[in-house]
Amino acid sequence: MVCSKHPVSAAMFMIISLVGVASLFVLLEAFFLAVLQILVYAGAVMVLFLFIIMLVDVGPNAGKSSKMKLISGLAGAFVISLLIVSFLIIVQSSGWIGGGANWSPIIEGAEPVIGDNLSFSTSVKSFGYGLMTKYMLPLQISGFLLLAAMVGVIVLSKKEEQDTN
Amino acid sequence: MVQVALSLLLLPLLSAGITLLFLRKYGNIAALLSVASAGGILAFSSFLIFGKDSDQIFSWSTTWFQLSDWELSFGFLVDSPAKTLLFVVSFVGLLIHIFSLGYMADDKAKSRYFGGLSIFMFSMLGITLSDNLVMIFVFWELVGFSSYLLIAHYFSTDEAANASKKAFIVNRVGDFGFLLGIIITYWTYGTVNLQELSVTANLDPSLTSTMLCLLLACGFIGKSAQFPLHVWLPDAMAGPTPVSALIHAATMVAAGIFLLIRIEFLFTVEALKLIGLAGSVMGLYAGFCALTQRDIKKVLAYSTLSQLGYMAAAFGLGLPGIALFHLMTHAFFKALMFLGSGSVIHACHHEQDIFNYGGLRKKMPVTAYTFLIGVLAISGVHFLSGYFSKDAILLGAYNLDFVIFSILYLGAILTSIYMFRLYFLTFCGETRSKSSENAVESSVFMTAPLIVLAVLAVFGGFHSLYPAQIVEYLLPDISRVAEMPHHLWMNILGLFAWVGGLLFAWKIYGSDTQSKDPLELKAPSLFQLSTSKLFFDEVYLFYVNRIQDPFFRFLEVMELLFISGLMVRGSAGVAALFALLGKSFYSGKIHHYSFWFVLGTLGFLAYAILGGGIS
Amino acid sequence: METISPSHYLFLALCLFSIGFFGVLLRRNILLLLMSLELMLNGINLALVTFSRTSLNLDGSIFVFFIMTVAAAEVAVGLALLVALYKKRQSVFSEDMNLVSN
Repeated sequence: MVCSKHPVSAAMFMIISLVGVASLFVLLEAFFLAVLQILVYAGAVMVLFLFIIMLVDVGPNAGKSSKMKLISGLAGAFVISLLIVSFLIIVQSSGWIGGGANWSPIIEGAEPVIGDNLSFSTSVKSFGYGLMTKYMLPLQISGFLLLAAMVGVIVLSKKEEQDTN
Repeated sequence: MVQVALSLLLLPLLSAGITLLFLRKYGNIAALLSVASAGGILAFSSFLIFGKDSDQIFSWSTTWFQLSDWELSFGFLVDSPAKTLLFVVSFVGLLIHIFSLGYMADDKAKSRYFGGLSIFMFSMLGITLSDNLVMIFVFWELVGFSSYLLIAHYFSTDEAANASKKAFIVNRVGDFGFLLGIIITYWTYGTVNLQELSVTANLDPSLTSTMLCLLLACGFIGKSAQFPLHVWLPDAMAGPTPVSALIHAATMVAAGIFLLIRIEFLFTVEALKLIGLAGSVMGLYAGFCALTQRDIKKVLAYSTLSQLGYMAAAFGLGLPGIALFHLMTHAFFKALMFLGSGSVIHACHHEQDIFNYGGLRKKMPVTAYTFLIGVLAISGVHFLSGYFSKDAILLGAYNLDFVIFSILYLGAILTSIYMFRLYFLTFCGETRSKSSENAVESSVFMTAPLIVLAVLAVFGGFHSLYPAQIVEYLLPDISRVAEMPHHLWMNILGLFAWVGGLLFAWKIYGSDTQSKDPLELKAPSLFQLSTSKLFFDEVYLFYVNRIQDPFFRFLEVMELLFISGLMVRGSAGVAALFALLGKSFYSGKIHHYSFWFVLGTLGFLAYAILGGGIS
Repeated sequence: METISPSHYLFLALCLFSIGFFGVLLRRNILLLLMSLELMLNGINLALVTFSRTSLNLDGSIFVFFIMTVAAAEVAVGLALLVALYKKRQSVFSEDMNLVSN
């Protein structure tokens, strides 16, 4: 997506990668989040993006002069690959990310709250339980945030010249 | 006592200040103010000299400023030589102020003149009263400045402007040596206070050195116009005549001798010998040059140079008291003669060539006869003031150093010759030009000081007539000379000197002469040598134009290249480089900003992970 | 063959994050820049869910929930801003958004 010329192709690619991430969520037994990802991200956010891309009718990238583009592209690719290779080497030598952790089985029917920790469960119910008890404050705040965002968007997209009533 | 001394010093400064601020246009009031301050100076000095506790040395000092452990103090030291000089300066100064009332009566810039006179009195009193070398140096420079101001009184003429510049610059050269001497004195002795120096020097005579003495004497050489810095004094005659009388005859040039007396405990035998020799040579040389001068004031200027040489010779013989004595008597008769010449110049409407005078004795009798007294005094006619001091010097020289004596004796003969020449050409015979035909006797302002000074010139040599405080310093050396042998022989030689000079001058100049100098016809090569003054001025001019100026131009180019180019513009350039660097951050492109943002974040991350975590 | 361990998921999350990172740095079109920003957030989400699963802690997933909320709001506002800018400058490219020099 980051390298594609046309914005619409970029958006399409983005949607595919979002769906991919959702499928990974399913693999990780976080079903609620997978559905949420599809609904919110791929469904709402990307559609919004597409909407704006169509509104702002941009052709393919009107780039810099072709020779500059080639050189800068090669340079950028070189730098990036260098960084990735060095990173892989560092990670390999220190025993991979995560320190060799492994999957532990999910205990079904565990108590929702043990001590101060919520226990992992695949059901939405425990999700809601956690939201409403431990994370009540962030929930409210994110409600306010959405309200503010909505108001802001409305204000920002007002027409500049007001027609006389 | 302290208040008296302070007010003595500040009174002329106050008068100068008031003249400068308020009385620029009111010349008459400025004149009266200045004369009043001169009177006040005389009153205060009498109090200092004759008041109670005056038989002890009065000294007082206060810190002027302090830089950690180096302190510059300002103080007074009124001991016997200071009292003598104080008497001379205040008395002669008052008389000259009164004379100026008459002389400058029709001048347009009276307030500038009288203001300058007041500043000069302030500086001269400062030199007399100071108790440490640095203060003397400060007032030294001030005296030089007032001399510059006063010589350039008629500044619209090139002659006066150049003369004042010359005086100041030549003086400055001498002062440079003086300053070096002061620094070395401080380095050697750790103090510049005169009393402390005398104590230390007497304790440990090996600390001083000839170099130190000669450097300090550079101030004397510059101020008292000794060889080789004598070139400014004849040119300084471009100033008004009372200025020449006060500054260049009686007081400022005597300040050099006074300095020598103040530091006489520092002198080594070699330094004394050198000064004595240089002084006597000066006496002879100046007398030689004075033989052929046509300007009345220049004759008197060279005569001053010659007499200063006598004083230096006396000092070099180890008789500082006699030097001070001669300074005193010289002040009287030289001031008398300068003021007399001023009276003549004023009466003849600023004609100064003596070959255009003549026969003024009938027209200006008071001036003529007082001038005659001055001439007799300087030639050493017996029992006038000049006889006592001059013969004391000659006697001392005869007994202590025969070379100096022979040079001085020749100088004495020349003195008599040119002085009588001056008198005969100016006052005797028939008038030779229109300006002298119309001369009349001057006003009482001018003649009264002449009479007073004439009285002093006659009786000033009898040191027992003075109050004790004034001649205290002179007595030991006078008695020392009185005990020397060969008095009678010296008297005979002195008689021969002045009588011979009188007859020689009478023969050549006494009869009716035209405007050409008869000596030129009789001894042309001698005449040429005398008028050339041995080419000193030419040598200095050559040095300034050919050597000094190109060097300064070279320095100017260097300065332009390095200091203003490299350092000033260069450092501005370095600052500009930093500015350019800063400006490159401000590009306005989002990508650049996000790039720097990410870099900053990575930096913080690196610091958090790798570097100094808390605790 | 190795089984898939949490390290792999984390590596993938890292890759997503860095791809989005370079997209943010290098894209000229502001729209695509915002999209790369979303990609970064997705990478983070993936990492969080992995940690939540490995440590059997639901806190991670709840945090992902909040991130999604905030991301949605942010996209909305960001695009509204972009549209306003587009009305002013008639272009969505970053080199035209330069106030300093013209």
